[in-house]
Amino acid sequence: MPPLDTQAQRGRPAIAQLPELVKNQIAAGEVIERPASVVKELVENALDAGASRIHLDLEEGGVQLVRIVDDGGGIPPEEIPLAFASHATSKLSQVADLDHIATLGFRGEALASIASVARCRLFSRQRGALLGAAVEIEGGALGEVRESGGPEGTRIEVRDLFYNTPARRRFLKTTATELGRCLDIVQRLALAQPGVGFVVTHDGRRAFEVEPSMDLRARVRRTFGAELADALVPVEAADGDTRLSGFVAPPRFSRNDTTRQMWFLNGRPLRDRILSRVLKDAYRGFVVDGRQTVAFLSLAMDPARVDVNVHPAKAEVRFRDERRVFGFLVGSLRAAVQSMDLATPGERLIERLEQRGELTPRQATLPAPAWEREPRPVPSFRDEAPRALPVFVREAPAAPSAPVAPTEGAQKPEEIRGPLLQVGRTYILRAVDDGFEIVDQHALHERLTLELLKDELARGGIEVQRRLVPELVEVGGAAAQLIEPHLESLARIGLVLARFGTGTIAVQGVPARFRHPDPSTLVHEVIAAIERSGSTPGAEELLEEILHRTACRSSVMAGDELSEIEMRALLARARGNDSSQTCAHGRPTRVRFTLADLERAFYRR
Amino acid sequence: MKVLCAREKLREGLALANSVIPSKSPKAVLTNVCLIASGDMLELVGTDLDVSLRFRITEQVKVIEAGTVVVSARVLHDFVRDFAGETVELDTREQNCVIKSGEDSAELVTADADEFPVVAPFDDAGAFSLQAGTFTSLVNKTAFAAAREQGRYAMHGVLVEIGDGLLKMVATDGRRLALAHAPMDTASGTKPQKASIVPTRGTQLFSRVMSDPLDQVKLTFTEAQVGVKTRNAEVFARLLEGEFPRYAAVIPAESKNYCEADASLLERKIRLVANVTGDEARAVRFSLSPGRLELSGHSAGRGEAHAFLQVEYKGTDAEIAFNPDYVVDGLKNSESGIVKLEFNEKTSPGKFLLGENYIYIVMPITIDA
Repeated sequence: MPPLDTQAQRGRPAIAQLPELVKNQIAAGEVIERPASVVKELVENALDAGASRIHLDLEEGGVQLVRIVDDGGGIPPEEIPLAFASHATSKLSQVADLDHIATLGFRGEALASIASVARCRLFSRQRGALLGAAVEIEGGALGEVRESGGPEGTRIEVRDLFYNTPARRRFLKTTATELGRCLDIVQRLALAQPGVGFVVTHDGRRAFEVEPSMDLRARVRRTFGAELADALVPVEAADGDTRLSGFVAPPRFSRNDTTRQMWFLNGRPLRDRILSRVLKDAYRGFVVDGRQTVAFLSLAMDPARVDVNVHPAKAEVRFRDERRVFGFLVGSLRAAVQSMDLATPGERLIERLEQRGELTPRQATLPAPAWEREPRPVPSFRDEAPRALPVFVREAPAAPSAPVAPTEGAQKPEEIRGPLLQVGRTYILRAVDDGFEIVDQHALHERLTLELLKDELARGGIEVQRRLVPELVEVGGAAAQLIEPHLESLARIGLVLARFGTGTIAVQGVPARFRHPDPSTLVHEVIAAIERSGSTPGAEELLEEILHRTACRSSVMAGDELSEIEMRALLARARGNDSSQTCAHGRPTRVRFTLADLERAFYRR
Repeated sequence: MKVLCAREKLREGLALANSVIPSKSPKAVLTNVCLIASGDMLELVGTDLDVSLRFRITEQVKVIEAGTVVVSARVLHDFVRDFAGETVELDTREQNCVIKSGEDSAELVTADADEFPVVAPFDDAGAFSLQAGTFTSLVNKTAFAAAREQGRYAMHGVLVEIGDGLLKMVATDGRRLALAHAPMDTASGTKPQKASIVPTRGTQLFSRVMSDPLDQVKLTFTEAQVGVKTRNAEVFARLLEGEFPRYAAVIPAESKNYCEADASLLERKIRLVANVTGDEARAVRFSLSPGRLELSGHSAGRGEAHAFLQVEYKGTDAEIAFNPDYVVDGLKNSESGIVKLEFNEKTSPGKFLLGENYIYIVMPITIDA
C-alpha cells in the first residue's frame, strides 16, 4: 500500500499563538474596512466622551488623513497606553454591563484596530487638567507618552490608512466615493445627536457643518435641503419608557433606496430590517410598491430591553420584546402618515412646467449675479406657518389597539360644494377654500373601493357576485399550483376561484362591489401578489395586498364619463376617509393649487 | 348633383345617419355622410366600418340632377336642423356643396367621394322575412343583459339563432343571461353557417330603423355580417368573433324552490329595498316562506330595509340574494303579470320566467360561501 500523501508528511506548520499585531490586523478587517469606518469609530468615541463640538479634517477621502478634534472629557495620561490595547475600554467592565449598554462603543477594539493598520498620533487633555499628553503609534507599536500642551479634549490623527496592508488598500474606491461614505457617517451621527456640533473639512475645504444648537429639522434642512425639511411631519409617541420621536416625510419624497430612512436607537444610527419593515407597514397603501419612504426617527428605550451586541458594526440590534415594539411603532407612525397632507402641491407642478419650458418664471429674466455662488432657493409661497404637531401618546399597558386619534392637526373635511368639472374623463376639478383641487377619479375610486371592501370583510364577509359560467383563465401549471393552497383564503375576500385542469383557474365569483371585474386580470394580480409575498405569506398581509391590486382593477377607470351627481357622490364618499389621499397603489389622488400658486403662475407675485 | 328635399325629412335621415357615423375617426372620411341622388330618391350612407346604414328618402324629395356628394355629417345635420325654411336645396358647385333654405345658405367643403367606403346594397336572395315587432321585442328582452365592461368580446352582443321555426336571441354578461324566442318562418331564407353574435350597437340600430312593428322586414346573414332591410333603410353590422358561452348548460332544468309573484309588485318592492343598498352594497335578500316573500337589504352607510309580499310558494323556507338592478332589468320586460322564480341553492342560478318564451337567469350574490 503506497504511503498516504498527507499534509503531515509534507511538513505541516506548527500551531502557534499569533503576534498581537496580526491579531489586531485581523480584527481590524472586521471593524476597519475603509476611512469611513475610522471616522465612525473615532466620532463615536468622541460622542461617548461627551463632546459637544467635533471637528473632523479629512485628506484624500480620509485615506491620507483623518483628524478628529473633540471637546470631550479627555483621557488621563496614565490610561493612554491602554487605550490602544485591544479589548481595553472604559465603557464597560463586567459581563452584566453588556445588558445595558448606553454608549455607542463598548468592545474596546476600535483604537487597537486602527492603530494596527495606520500611523496614529493622539493628544488628550483631561477636563480641568493643567497639561495633556501625546503619543505616537505606528503599526501597533506604541511610542513614548510625552507631556504636551493643548486644548481640553482629545485629538487623534490617523494617517496613511492601510499602509502596511496593501491588499486592503487596493480595495478602496475613488477619493470622491470614500469622502461620500465618510460624510454619510458623519451626517447620520449628526442627525442622531442633536446638541452636538459637527464640522468636516476635506483637503482644507469645509464639507459639512452643523451648529450644536440646530434641531433635527434644521439638520435635515442643512443635509438634504429645504423642500424635504419643510414637508416633514413630526412624530411623537410613547409606550411606557419607550419613546419615539422624529419626522416622517410625505410619500412624494420616497426614493428607490433606503438611504434617507434613518433610525436612531439611543443616539446610535441603525440599519435594521425590522425597522425598515415598520416603515413599510406604516406607509402601506400610501407609497407605490418598491419605493422607500423617507423618515428620521429616534427611539429611546431602556438599554436593558435591546441587545446591540449582535453585529460587528453594531448596525443591527435585537429587541427583547420585538412584537410589542413593532406594534407600537407601526401604530404611531401610521397615525402620523394618515394625518399628512398628501396632495402634491401645485407649486411643484408649476416647477415642472417651468422645467419643460411651458412657463417662464419671472426670476429667469433676472440672471443670478456671477458672484452668487449658492444657487438661489426657489421661493416658496406655500403656507410657511409651522404645521400643528400631531401628538400621539399611548399609555404603557395599551395593547396594539387603534392609535388615539390626533387631538389637533387633523384636517377637517371640507364641504363638497360649488361646481365640479370633469376634464378628459379622468380628472375632477373643484374649488377649495384657498385654491382649487384636481382629483384623479380613478385613483380616488380605487382607494374607496378598497376601504369599503376592507370594511365589508371586517363586518363579516364580502358579497360575491357569482358567475353563470366560470371564466377560465389560463395561467400555466406552476402558477395554478401556486394559487391552490390559497383558494380558501381568497374566497374569504370574495374571489371564488377553483383549479380547473393543470394550468387553468376557473373564476366562479368576484366581489359584487367590483365595477369592472375582468377575471383574467384579477387572476394574474392574485398570482403576482402571491409571488411577491414569497414563501411565507402572512395570510392577512397577502389578502390585503390582493385587495389593493384587485380594487384597482375594478374601479371607475380613467375615461368613464361621470355625471355631476356621480362626481359629487364620489367626493362626498371620500370625505372623512383617512386614507383617501392616495390610491391603493400609493399614487396621489389629488393635487392642490393654492391661490398663491396661481398668483405665482400669473406673475402677480 | 342638385336636390330639393323637405327639411324635416332630411333632418330625420341625418340624425339617424349620425348615430352610426363617428364624430372622430382615424380615417377622417368616415366622419362624413355620403349623399346619393338618383331617380326620385336621395340616399344617405354612413358607416364606421362595423355598423353601416343606407337610408332612403323617397317622399317630398325632388332630384333635379343626379350625383353623389360626401360632406361632413355633423355640419350638414346642424345646418339642416337650424335652417328656418320648409325645404332644403343641395347643390354641388366644383369642390363645394351649397345648401340653401329660404333666404339662407351655406357653402360646405366636400370630401373625395372615391375615398368613401362602399356599402354594398342589401341582397334579397337568401333573406328571411319577418315582422319588425317580432325582432324588436326579442332585442328588447335580451340586449340589456349583454356585457358592457371589457373582457370577453363575444359577450358584447346578442347571439341570434335561427331554426325549427324559431328566431332565438340570447345575451349574457356572465352574471345574468336573457333568452327569448319567437316563431318565424325559418324556411324562407338561408340559415347562417355559424353562431351569429350581433354587436349591441347593431341591435340598437336595427330596433331604431324598425319603427313600425307591423312592417315586414328582411333579415340576412353572411359569413361576416348581418343585414336588415326595412321599407326605407338598410342596416349592416359586422358579427362579433369568438365563442359565445354554452348557455344551454346553465339553465337549470328542475328546481327545488318555486314561487310565483305579481311582476309589477315585485319590481316595486325590490326598488323600495334597493333604496337602502344604493349603488355600492349590491345584495337584496329574498327569503321565502309559505305564501310569503321577504325582501331585505342593508348597507353600512345607509341602514337596512325590509319589504314583504304575498307569493305563491309551498316549499320549505329558503333564501337567495341578488343584485336588485339585475332583477329589475328583467322584470321591466316581463310580458305576463305573473313572474315565476325558481332556484335550488342560494349559490345556484336563479331562474326567472318572465313570459311564455322568455327566461332570465340571474346569478346570486353570496357572502363567504
